[in-house]
Amino acid sequence: MQSKHRIQITVNEEEHDLLVHPNRTLLDLIRYDLGLTGTKEGCDEGDCGACTVIVNGKVMTSCLVLAVEVDGAAITTIEGMHNGDELHPIQQAFVDSGAVQCGFCTPGMILTTKALLDDIPDPSEDEIKHYLEGNLCRCTGYTKILDAVNIAIKQMK
Amino acid sequence: MENYSIVGKRIPHRDSVEKVKGSAVFTSDIKLNGMLYGKILRSTVPHAKIRSIDISKAAKLKGVKAIITSQDTPLVKYSISPTWADQMVLDDQKIRYIGDEIAAVAAVTKEIAEEALDLIEVDLTELPGIYDPLEAMKEGAPLVHDAVRNNISKRVTMECGSVEEGFAEADLILEDTFKTQAQSHSSIETHCCIATCSPTDDVTLWANSQSPHPLRQRLAGALNIDAAKIHIITPYIGGGFGSKIDLDPSQAISVILAKKTGKPVKIEHSRKEQYIATRMRHPTITELKFGVKRDGTIVAKQAKVVMDNGAYNSHGPAVLAYNNVMFSTLYRVANIKYEGCLVYTNKNWGGACRGYGDPQASFAQEVMLDMIAEKLNMDPIELRLKNANIPNEVTANAVQITSCGLKECLTEVKERSQWEEKKINPKKYRGLGVAAMIYTGGGSIGSGSNYSGATLQMNADGTLHLLMGAVDIGQGSNMILTQMAAEIMAVEPQSIRLTTADTDATFPCMGTFGSRVTFCAGNAVTQAANGLRQQLLENAAEMLEANIDDLELKQKKIFVKGSPHKSLSYAEIGAASFYRKKKPLVAHGYYNGPEEISPEFDPKNYRGYPAPSMAFAVQVAEVEVDPATGKAEILCLTAAHDLGRAINPLLAEGQIEGGAAQGIGWALMEDVQFENGKIVNPNFHDYKMLTIKDMPKISPILIESIDPNGPFGAKGLGEPAMVPTAPAIINAIYDAVGVRVKDLPATSEKIYKGLKEKELKTD
Repeated sequence: MQSKHRIQITVNEEEHDLLVHPNRTLLDLIRYDLGLTGTKEGCDEGDCGACTVIVNGKVMTSCLVLAVEVDGAAITTIEGMHNGDELHPIQQAFVDSGAVQCGFCTPGMILTTKALLDDIPDPSEDEIKHYLEGNLCRCTGYTKILDAVNIAIKQMK
Repeated sequence: MENYSIVGKRIPHRDSVEKVKGSAVFTSDIKLNGMLYGKILRSTVPHAKIRSIDISKAAKLKGVKAIITSQDTPLVKYSISPTWADQMVLDDQKIRYIGDEIAAVAAVTKEIAEEALDLIEVDLTELPGIYDPLEAMKEGAPLVHDAVRNNISKRVTMECGSVEEGFAEADLILEDTFKTQAQSHSSIETHCCIATCSPTDDVTLWANSQSPHPLRQRLAGALNIDAAKIHIITPYIGGGFGSKIDLDPSQAISVILAKKTGKPVKIEHSRKEQYIATRMRHPTITELKFGVKRDGTIVAKQAKVVMDNGAYNSHGPAVLAYNNVMFSTLYRVANIKYEGCLVYTNKNWGGACRGYGDPQASFAQEVMLDMIAEKLNMDPIELRLKNANIPNEVTANAVQITSCGLKECLTEVKERSQWEEKKINPKKYRGLGVAAMIYTGGGSIGSGSNYSGATLQMNADGTLHLLMGAVDIGQGSNMILTQMAAEIMAVEPQSIRLTTADTDATFPCMGTFGSRVTFCAGNAVTQAANGLRQQLLENAAEMLEANIDDLELKQKKIFVKGSPHKSLSYAEIGAASFYRKKKPLVAHGYYNGPEEISPEFDPKNYRGYPAPSMAFAVQVAEVEVDPATGKAEILCLTAAHDLGRAINPLLAEGQIEGGAAQGIGWALMEDVQFENGKIVNPNFHDYKMLTIKDMPKISPILIESIDPNGPFGAKGLGEPAMVPTAPAIINAIYDAVGVRVKDLPATSEKIYKGLKEKELKTD
C-alpha cells in the first residue's frame, strides 16, 4: 500500500492541505477530493482538453498532472472564473455567442481562452486557433466559440 | 409572416450560464454516500465460445464487493425492438466482438475494480472471426449468431414502377459503387450511469440517456423487473449524436450490482471503451444504377446496399430501412428499386448515428448525380432543380411530403456561394461541389409510436412550470421549447421553471433522436400552453366580468382591450385559482403522430413511411486541393436548410455548424479502423476529428417553408445538418482537380493517388 504524501495547494484562492497517493492525478483530486466537478474528464489521456486548468499561470491538462507535482502551486479551475453571479467577460461572451451546446468542453475552452488572453491580449486568429487547438468540441463546430473569443477580446480591452 | 416576440429571436440558451460556471451537473459529477465503482470485463478476442468463468481469485481481493456473470442475469435477449432482439446484458454462450461484456465487478475504488478484472479467469474456445460483410454473406462463413443464416440479419427490398422500363427509356445510364466507413460519435462525455436499489427494490438510475422513458421499459425487460419500480433521471448530457439512445449493457450491469451490494454503483466508460464498445455509424457498400433523359430527368434509379451490422442489431434494421426511405424519397422519380442487406460481422456494432443511414444514402446518390451532370454537360444545381421534390406531393414510394423548401435551398445556396461567378472563373486547384438531402423533420410513427408529452402548470404565485420528457443533449430543446411556451403565455422564457426527462415527474417522450424533438415535443408543449392560456383567459374573464374575446395577455398580466386599468396579474389569477377556487391551473399536451398513415405503409421496407414532415437541405462546399500532398482544404461551406421555421436562429446556426464539422470529419478524416476485428485507433489522437484549426467558414441559410403541422411551422434540423456535407466536398474535390473519391474518407493519400493516376493517363 503506497503511503500518502502531504501537499499544500491554492485552488481559486482557497488554501488546501491534503494527503494524496502519489498516483493521484490533479484531475481526480480536483473533481473527487475537492468536489469541484466543473473540470471534466473526457479521455484521461491528455487529448481533449476537457480537464484544462491553469497552474501558476500556465494551461495544463490536469489528467496528465500528478497532484504531488503541483505541491505549492496556485491553481484556477472554472469555478474560479466568476465572482458569484458576476460572470467573467469570457464566460459572458460564451453565453451570448451561442458557443455553449452540451457544455462538456466549455470549462476547458474558457480556461484556455483565459490563458490565451492573459498571454496575448490582442491575438491574431492564428494565435487563437493555436491555443485552442487542444480543446476538442463535438457539438458546436467551433464557429461560435471563435465568435465568443473575439467578443471577449473586445470586452476585456 | 407572423410577428412573434420570442419565437424567431436569437436568444442565448437558458442553460448556458450554469454550463460556463461549471455548475451544470453531468452524471459523472454525482457522488453518493457509500458509492462503489463498477468495471466491466470485456473480451479481447473477436469470436469465441465461453466455457467457464472463475471469479474466485477476484472475489478475494480486498475492496471487491460484488462480481457478476451471466448467471446473475435473466438471460433474456433484448434490442431497441423486441422483433430483432439479439443481445444479452452478459452473454452466457458466446463472445461476438472485441469489447463484448463477460463479467463485471463493483469495488470501493476504480483501481481495485480494475485490478479485480485482471484476476477473473475466463476459459474460452476461440472461433474463426468474420470481418468483411461480403465474405460474411457467403456460404460456409462463420456465423456470428448461430441461428442467422448467411449472417444476414435483415433484407430490405422495395420496387416502385418498373426500373426495367425506366432504363429502357433512358438516354444515359450510369453505374458505380460507393463505400462509406464507420464513424464514431465521439461525444466528449462518455457513457456514465449510477444505480441505486432500495431495500424495497426501488431502482433509481442516473444515466446520460437520450431516451429515458423507453430505457425504463428496456431495462425492465432485460432485467425481468417491474418498470414501475424503476426511476430514471437524466442529468445534463455531454453530447449524444445517437450513441446514448439504446439500453447500454453498463446501465443494466450497474442496476444488478446495486441490487447485489445494496450500495450505489457508478459505471463510467473510459475513452477507449467508448470507442470499442459503443455503437458507430454502419459502414456501407452501395451499388447504384441511374437512368436519365438528356434533359436531366431521372427516369429510373436502383440501389443495392450491403450494410455492415457488426456483432449486434441495435438500430441496424431501422437504419437500413431509413437508408431506403432517404434514397427513394429524394427527387421525383417514378421507377425505383432498392435491395439492401444488413450483415453481421465480428466487430463493434453499428447503431443510431446522426443521420441514421441517410449520410450513406446521400453520399452515393449525390456523387452519382454529379457524375450524371458532367456527362450531360448540365449544371449540377440545375439537374437537381429539374428533379426536386415539391410541396404536398406523394412520392413514388408513397411518402407524403408537406412543406418543402428544396428548390429555395438550391437557389439560395447557388447565390450565396457565388456558384455561377466561381464556375465561370475557376481558380486552379479550387472547386465547388453541391449536394442535397431529405430527412424526417418530426420523427415517424413507423415503428409504432412517435410520442412526446408535456405539462404546463401555473403556480399559486403566477410563475409557470413546464414539465416534459424531452431531453436536451446540447442541441437546445430546453430553450426552444420554453420559447414556444413563453410566446403563447406572454412571459420571458427564462422565467419558466423547467423539469425534463425524469420518468417519475414528466410525461413520456420517446427520446431525442430522429430530429423529432422540435416537432413532436414542440407540438406537445404548444398544446399544453394553449390549454393553459385558455384556462387563464376563462378565469380572468370571470374575475374581470369581461368577455373572453376582449382580453389580451401581456407581460404576465391579462388586460381588457382598451381598458388597461381593468387587469389582473398572473399572480392574482394563480392565487385565486389555488386558494379561493378548487381548480389548479394545469394543462397537458401529447403528440403521437402523424394521425394518417398511408395504406401503402410497409413496416418492413418503410414504403409509405409515415413521417409528419420532411426536412430538406442543400450544401455547397468550396475546396482547395494541394497538389503536392493531396490535402483538401475546405475554404467555405454554404448550407441552406429548410427547417420550417427557425424558433431560435442562434441555436439553429449552432446545429448547422456542428453538423458540418462532423460531416467534414466523415468526408476527410474520421475512420474507425479495424484489423481482424480490433479497433486500432480507439482514442482522440488516432481517430482524427476536426479541431478549431480545421474548421472552415460556414455560411448558414435558414429557409422557412412553414410546415402546416409543425409547432409555429417548425421542423427538425439536427441530423440534416451533416447529411449533404460529405458529397458536397467530394464533388468539390472533383471540380477542383478531377479526382473522384468514391470511398470515404477522402484522405490526402487517396486524393494524391488519384492525382498521380490522372497524370499517368495523360502522359
